[in-house]
Amino acid sequence: MKRSCIAMLLAGGQGSRLYALTSRVAKPSVPFGGKYRIIDFPLSNCANSGIDVVGVLTQYRPLQLNSYIGSGQAYDLDSADGGVYILPPYQSAGERGSWFSGTANAIYQNIGFIEMFDPENVLILSGDHIYKMDYSDMVKAHTANDAACTIAVIQVAMRDASRFGILSAGEDGYITEFEEKPLRPKSDLASMGIYIFNWKKLKEYLIADEMNPKSSKDFGKDIIPEMLRAGEKLWPYRFSGYWRDVGTIVSLWDANMDMLSPTAINLYDPDWPIRSKSPIKPPHYAGPESKIVHSIVTEGCEIDGRVENSVLSSAVRVGRGARVMYSILMPGVTVGEGAVVEYAIIGENTKIGAQARVGSGPDGSDSWNVATCGPDIEIGEGESISPGAMIYESVGGGLHG
Amino acid sequence: MKAWGVACMADLHGIILAYHTAPELGDLVRSRTSASLPFCGRYRLIDFSLSSMQNAGVRDVGVVMQRDYQSLLDHLGGGKEWDLSRKRGGLRLLPPFGNLGNPTGEYEGVIEALCAVESYIGNIKQRYVVITRGNLAANIDLADVMARHLESGADVTAVCTPHIPRRAHQRYITDGGFVKELLYRQGGRGAGYASLEMYIMSKETLLGIMERGSSGRKYRFHRDEIAGLLASGGKVAVYVHSGYARHIFSVGEYYKASMDMLDAANRATLFPDERPVRTKDRSDVSTYYGEEASSKNCLVADGCFIEGVIENCILFRGVKVGNGARVKNAVVMQDTVIGEGAELSYVISDKNVEISPYITLAGSPRLPLVIPKMSRI
Repeated sequence: MKRSCIAMLLAGGQGSRLYALTSRVAKPSVPFGGKYRIIDFPLSNCANSGIDVVGVLTQYRPLQLNSYIGSGQAYDLDSADGGVYILPPYQSAGERGSWFSGTANAIYQNIGFIEMFDPENVLILSGDHIYKMDYSDMVKAHTANDAACTIAVIQVAMRDASRFGILSAGEDGYITEFEEKPLRPKSDLASMGIYIFNWKKLKEYLIADEMNPKSSKDFGKDIIPEMLRAGEKLWPYRFSGYWRDVGTIVSLWDANMDMLSPTAINLYDPDWPIRSKSPIKPPHYAGPESKIVHSIVTEGCEIDGRVENSVLSSAVRVGRGARVMYSILMPGVTVGEGAVVEYAIIGENTKIGAQARVGSGPDGSDSWNVATCGPDIEIGEGESISPGAMIYESVGGGLHG
Repeated sequence: MKAWGVACMADLHGIILAYHTAPELGDLVRSRTSASLPFCGRYRLIDFSLSSMQNAGVRDVGVVMQRDYQSLLDHLGGGKEWDLSRKRGGLRLLPPFGNLGNPTGEYEGVIEALCAVESYIGNIKQRYVVITRGNLAANIDLADVMARHLESGADVTAVCTPHIPRRAHQRYITDGGFVKELLYRQGGRGAGYASLEMYIMSKETLLGIMERGSSGRKYRFHRDEIAGLLASGGKVAVYVHSGYARHIFSVGEYYKASMDMLDAANRATLFPDERPVRTKDRSDVSTYYGEEASSKNCLVADGCFIEGVIENCILFRGVKVGNGARVKNAVVMQDTVIGEGAELSYVISDKNVEISPYITLAGSPRLPLVIPKMSRI
């Protein structure tokens, strides 16, 4: 059935800069902000923008992502002739199936899927950003400017510019240059990794790029520069709201902390709800000796200790006399009695033993960093995890459970 | 063992009696029936029956309703949350059909309510039926009840509690797991188990009971029909549910049961990990506690914004407590806004109430103050 725009969400990346947190799951399914997983943001944006066909390209550790997204019911995307489609790499008759070798190759391998909907335009999204955006407005700009490709851009600080794809625009407003992570950035307009392509055009470029043995089959490095060289019209769509990349431990920690100030990103807006698959848990319980200050707490938690400046996902337990400060506790984490967790990210279902100590506040040294414990591990009673540590495996006693 | 349980379960049909509006719930049921009374921060009472059924693999459930069912309809929707949105079967809402019974008053008893949906019951495909009231706050392991029902060979298995309520109730004196004597008690001590008015029986047994009851104009299922069954030599087995279980008929019972939820032991049996209680999802954000907030011995659902002090409270989704407000021993239903500096104690605030800053409202432990839905104070 014909669509004016469908979305393709690139969710196959490992997110290797999140280290232990993505050792078992793909980055888009990393928990975020108490109730959410990262992928809830682009999927909710799609639903709110009226885009009812979303192909989710998975590759790395897709199991949890698949079961989390399910039929897309949580996002109201489980419609009769559209919805969320999980698209793993596949094998066709007479061919050797292959993994997605780059972002462009992932879309190339799913040309057949896209053609089913005969779309005018295709929206390409990634699963590693926290933001609210009306894609339908971007589609309008794309159409109004008769662009072959529209790239969402945001102004960043010049000193950060070399971490992004940076583009420059000419006097007529169209994009003149695009450089992926330039050493000497020429502008402060960063690509947000959100593209709308005219599908007919994109298909031509994808097929040509696939033939090019030198191509790395990436949108930012190959497709977009090639379109520029060919003189296509590329339009920058300026976005000025809240937008954070959460691809690193520090940026993930920062963006979670932003959830404590509702002015950063308003998740209470009834007109633009960010939906998630809620865990089935009773309300959280704050015990008689608990103290919870400037923090967010989710259903299913049982708090008997102190929690300050922290983000607690569902079903977290904080024992008596324990202290949790400036930390992010993912679903199912247990902090034992008297334990101290400071400036740390603790992965799902990890147990911090009684009297253990994880992380500590900034000490002014360059080596200081947020401490991270991966999911499903145990930090033994009384153990100490230094700031900046990256813990993949259980530490100390209590390994026999 | 598990496989056995599941295999049986395909053969069990659920009927929830949700037509009753208990007058002693006063303003709390002004625009709803007892079954859709909000409970424990994010649920409606009927969620417990539905979830008990869902967790036992029951796939077809009929909900008998009569009047004031708008809030129930809104809550249940198509039954998606309880996995009851099905092509065949699933959730069936059963308002009165035709002119059976009396159209103005409430059904006189369970039998009359069941007879009003007789054709539905006649068409049940499963061999067994579980009947329960929609105002029961209990998480019953129905798979286990069903397995024991089959083992015992009883005509009817009645789910009971060792907790003896203060109000009038049916009491069973048992012998070897079967009912020896049925007593009607006004409350108080003594031997036996109190009936939770939840029964499993075969469809044939149920139709027989309905037939006898309606022809004799005896509409009381528990008092008349179970007694009749016993008198005619029928076997009634008792299944003792030791976890938390309360029927809620009055403001006092509602308040007491709400406060019971602050006890971890009660929560553990009402919300066991292996039998989750599902409800309508609202997609709220997590609850935020401000710089000056304090929360002691409280249950708080998602979507709240707490800047004041709360103690011994149940907060439903989306409640706001302003700076310097003090809320104690209160049940605060969804989206209520408590202004800064307001002081509340022994209060049950219904949905969407707005309490202006610096107002003081106090009830007593015996008689909590009920603030009706949508009030502006």
